[in-house]
Amino acid sequence: MRISRKWLSQYMDISDLSIEEIAQKITDAGLEVEAVEHQSQGTNLVIGEVLECTDHPDSDHLHCTKVNVGNEVLNIVCGAPNVAAGQKVIVALPGAKLPGGEIKKGVIRGQESNGMICSLLELGVDPHLLTEEQKAGIEILDAKAPVGNTDPLQYLGWDDEILEIGLTPNRNDCLASFNMAVEAGAILHREVKLPAYQKASECGGLTKLQVSSKTKKCPLFLGKVIGNITIKESPLWMKELLRASGMHSINNVVDISNIVMLETGQPMHFYDKDAIKNQEITVVDGIQEDYTALDGVTYALQPEDIVITNDGKPIGIAGIMGGDDSKILDTTTGLIIECAIFNHVSIRNTARRLNLATESSVRYQKGIEPLAAQKAVDRAVQLLIEYADAKEIEETVQYGQTPYQPKTLSCQYMAINDRLGTDFTKEEILEVFKRLQWNPIDHQDHFTVDIPSYRTDVEGMADLSEEVIRLIGYDRLPSTLPMMEMTEGKLNPSQRLRRELRQYFTAQGLQDCVTYTLISTKKMEKAILSAGEAIELASPMSEERRYIRTSILPSLIDVVSYNQARHIPNINVFELSDVAAKEGVQTHGAFVLSEELQQTKWTGYSLPADFYTAKGLMEAILEKVGINEKRIHFVANEFDTQHFHPYRSACIRIDQETIGIVGQIHPQYAKETDCKDVILCEFDYGKILASKKAKIKYVPISKYPSVQRDLAFVMDRSMPVSQVVDVINKHGKLDKEMIVKSVEVFDVYQGEHVADNEKSIALRILFQSDKKTLNEEEINTLFNGIIDAIQKECNATLRN
Amino acid sequence: MEQIEQLQKEALEKIRDCQQGSALNELRVYYLGKKGPVQGLMKNMKSLSSEEKPIFGQKVNQLKQELSQAIEEKRQELAQKEMLAKIENEKIDITLPGRKPHLANLHPLNLVTQELEDLFIGLGYQVIEGDDIVSDEYCFERANIPKDHPARDMQDSLYIDPNWLLRTHTTAIQMKVLEESAPSLPIKVVCPGKVYRRDDDDATHSHQFMQMEGLVIGENVTLSDLKGTLEFMARKLFGQDREIRFRPSFFPFTEPSVEVDVSCHICNGKGCPTCKGTGWIEILGAGEVHPNVLKMAGYDPEKCSGFAFGVGIERVAMLKYGIDDIRHFYTNDMRFMDEFKRFE
Repeated sequence: MRISRKWLSQYMDISDLSIEEIAQKITDAGLEVEAVEHQSQGTNLVIGEVLECTDHPDSDHLHCTKVNVGNEVLNIVCGAPNVAAGQKVIVALPGAKLPGGEIKKGVIRGQESNGMICSLLELGVDPHLLTEEQKAGIEILDAKAPVGNTDPLQYLGWDDEILEIGLTPNRNDCLASFNMAVEAGAILHREVKLPAYQKASECGGLTKLQVSSKTKKCPLFLGKVIGNITIKESPLWMKELLRASGMHSINNVVDISNIVMLETGQPMHFYDKDAIKNQEITVVDGIQEDYTALDGVTYALQPEDIVITNDGKPIGIAGIMGGDDSKILDTTTGLIIECAIFNHVSIRNTARRLNLATESSVRYQKGIEPLAAQKAVDRAVQLLIEYADAKEIEETVQYGQTPYQPKTLSCQYMAINDRLGTDFTKEEILEVFKRLQWNPIDHQDHFTVDIPSYRTDVEGMADLSEEVIRLIGYDRLPSTLPMMEMTEGKLNPSQRLRRELRQYFTAQGLQDCVTYTLISTKKMEKAILSAGEAIELASPMSEERRYIRTSILPSLIDVVSYNQARHIPNINVFELSDVAAKEGVQTHGAFVLSEELQQTKWTGYSLPADFYTAKGLMEAILEKVGINEKRIHFVANEFDTQHFHPYRSACIRIDQETIGIVGQIHPQYAKETDCKDVILCEFDYGKILASKKAKIKYVPISKYPSVQRDLAFVMDRSMPVSQVVDVINKHGKLDKEMIVKSVEVFDVYQGEHVADNEKSIALRILFQSDKKTLNEEEINTLFNGIIDAIQKECNATLRN
Repeated sequence: MEQIEQLQKEALEKIRDCQQGSALNELRVYYLGKKGPVQGLMKNMKSLSSEEKPIFGQKVNQLKQELSQAIEEKRQELAQKEMLAKIENEKIDITLPGRKPHLANLHPLNLVTQELEDLFIGLGYQVIEGDDIVSDEYCFERANIPKDHPARDMQDSLYIDPNWLLRTHTTAIQMKVLEESAPSLPIKVVCPGKVYRRDDDDATHSHQFMQMEGLVIGENVTLSDLKGTLEFMARKLFGQDREIRFRPSFFPFTEPSVEVDVSCHICNGKGCPTCKGTGWIEILGAGEVHPNVLKMAGYDPEKCSGFAFGVGIERVAMLKYGIDDIRHFYTNDMRFMDEFKRFE
């Protein structure tokens, strides 16, 4: 909201404070002053009279003037088209500092010029507040303007200073300057005197006016006929106040409706009495038709809009804008006052749909205090009598009511200090409420206060404590730490495991990423290991942000193509995030590998981004979190062969449960995503978290020596190596003790010297007993048994 | 005797001049072998008198010892030389790059979240999270945000249906924590998470961002306790010299509500572009939990009180690292991410 020095000065003396001091104090008390605006700017100004005005000999638009500024007559060259002899004007003397720069003595095309005749625009006045003539030329003062007066801006009333205040939603009461004045008085420790206007409308004779509402969206309607008024120009003070609030002066009557709205926060509308012949006004909704409002624009009314009607025809869009037919004209002789309450949500929706944020609609949307309508009618009648010669006043008619119960709160002094952690005295606390004009009464350990009708935000002790601390000042608040019983600060197992995973993957060279939850339909359809049926937003912001993702990989693939497009090599990324579907929320992990995960080119060292690197990453982390390697299986991927290369991907299982998919991107999908040859993996973190973990248990290290044997076989290419390893393990027992401690695949070869459909594999077996030293014969027997079994069970041939 | 001396002189010279292990071996075999000249001297014994014989024998033995010692010394010397030569030959260029493991790092948002979590864990807080999709009830109603509040309009928040939406603030988690804990005390939690608003993405707005809210409820937890706690946090995040200041504000779920400013860590409060010349930077909103909120969750506001605060993770990260555009966090450009590698 905007409040100016002139506004505040009506109610209190603030002449000793600079506008900056006022702004700081108001901000400190919780009403944030977002800007301090000087209505106009300029030093070294004086009112002058143009004595002579002739065309410049060397220009087709400049004029040479002689201007009397009181103590001397100056030659000034002036470019304004409207300058003429006999005018009273604003002169900026040499040395004057204007928004556009400093005025200096000079010679303009051979003619001496000792100053500048100013337009208001040149003095920094907001162009929106000026007429076209004012903007086009110099400001012309009235004939009575005193020549030599050194404060022409004050003379014109353009010298106000304005505070632009950002109100928090609980303090919309301050949209009313009467309320803002009380607030400012409390903050600045000033005595505040508001005009006495109460009951000013309790006058008038019988009326024929009938007002009613057919919609619940209008619970209160006050109407009043003023039979005779005189339309004229508003007094200067009214114009000045409107200007400070960013509004134009129209005429005394329209201005009064605006001034009263600014004072009380209650929007009101004046209708030309003659336009409403039968003196009947009904508020309705459910109308659907085109309607031309007083701004001359035609709006399409919808059934949900609240509409003011006369004789069944719309005469105004309630709370937003009146109609063209019934607006106040210069010829108006009588008027009907409308002062009503409308549902704020309805006004918000209509105003938004019609794109009409008027002073009125904004106030309705923010809520109007219960007594505002009565205050507004009283004040309007008072001003109409005084400034518009109102006569033939009829009695007020009322439809409905807004329930209001005066509120008195009682509060312990101790409660305030307990909530704040302060030790304010009784006197300090009572003083705050005196400043607010809440009539505090002391009752030993507690006090009572009367809450004004407009402070609908104040409900109890907590609110009172806020008033105390903000008006005494937050600089008085001590700094302490809570005193309470000891609590254990910790992460839960899931949070700990998530950190382990992030730690692990980043240490392996995979960059931790965060991508958006909301995705496009296209990405939604590309879900990998989807959490289920995707959830769509009721009204998405854009197609790009339509669905809540059920899978991370499509977003992560985007990250890879983004970076690859920028020629950044070796993009290896992962993300851990919640995903959601109609079936429920899951936490997923996902990674994408490309090119090389680790490499030092000149040494030939490389950890390529391939299936086995990805598989190894998953194996290691699953073992690390406590899942025995024997429980981890990689089985043929029959789950998703649309995004994955069907022969270079696998489902990851813990025991019998599939927890994820890993493998090379399908060449077709790679083409669609501009991501070549990448390795993808998505897994269900929740399943890893939930699976049973082995605890660390000490097993003694064998005291006996181990023996190592190598062997190589040729077998069919399609024979899975894991089957060979299984056979070795199956035949690895000596006297019921498993003495095969490990089997390592150290070579796999296909090519020259091996038949086209075959491969050669080399294995290293480690034998060791926990009970004794194995002798040559025992090992040989077992080893030969293993060889026989592999040859038989895997259809393999031993190589020499 | 002259023969001995002559042989000694000749042999020692040869040993001294020898430069190779194999040649030295040959010398050893020649001089000390059974058919060598030293042994050959013994033949001359026969022609000596019985007094001279032992002296001569002694001399020859001495010569033998002397020569084998000289050979051994020479051998060691040569071995040493050989090793030095070999080592020198093994010289590598230590300026070539090492096999440096590529270590990736946490996303800056996760980095800041962890830092904040750890800071509060140290103060005895638990970390509580929740689903991104929450009910209207927990997101708004329980947070004392009335039905007709603009945020509850389907057009203003990201609703799925009339009752469910993507949470607009992590306050939604707090409301769940409160309800689930009631009526036990104390509560000391921080709640990090993603939140969503209907905002177009630009340098300072993001439809998705991260918040972390803190909530402490106890028998007599005051606004001054909030100040002390946030002071602790600000100093951990932005340095020990930081001061904080409260400005009155409004949030439906706290009363009194405050905006919290921290003295600018760039200019130390003198005024700079980061703090727009004010010396203060707004970092979060906070306040004493509104009695209505406690009541709705099942607590008696007469018997307990507490504070809540909410900090924007992006905001902290942007201030801490001087990041100028919030979209960087969600673009995941590796060049941007690489900048957050260090331990701090």
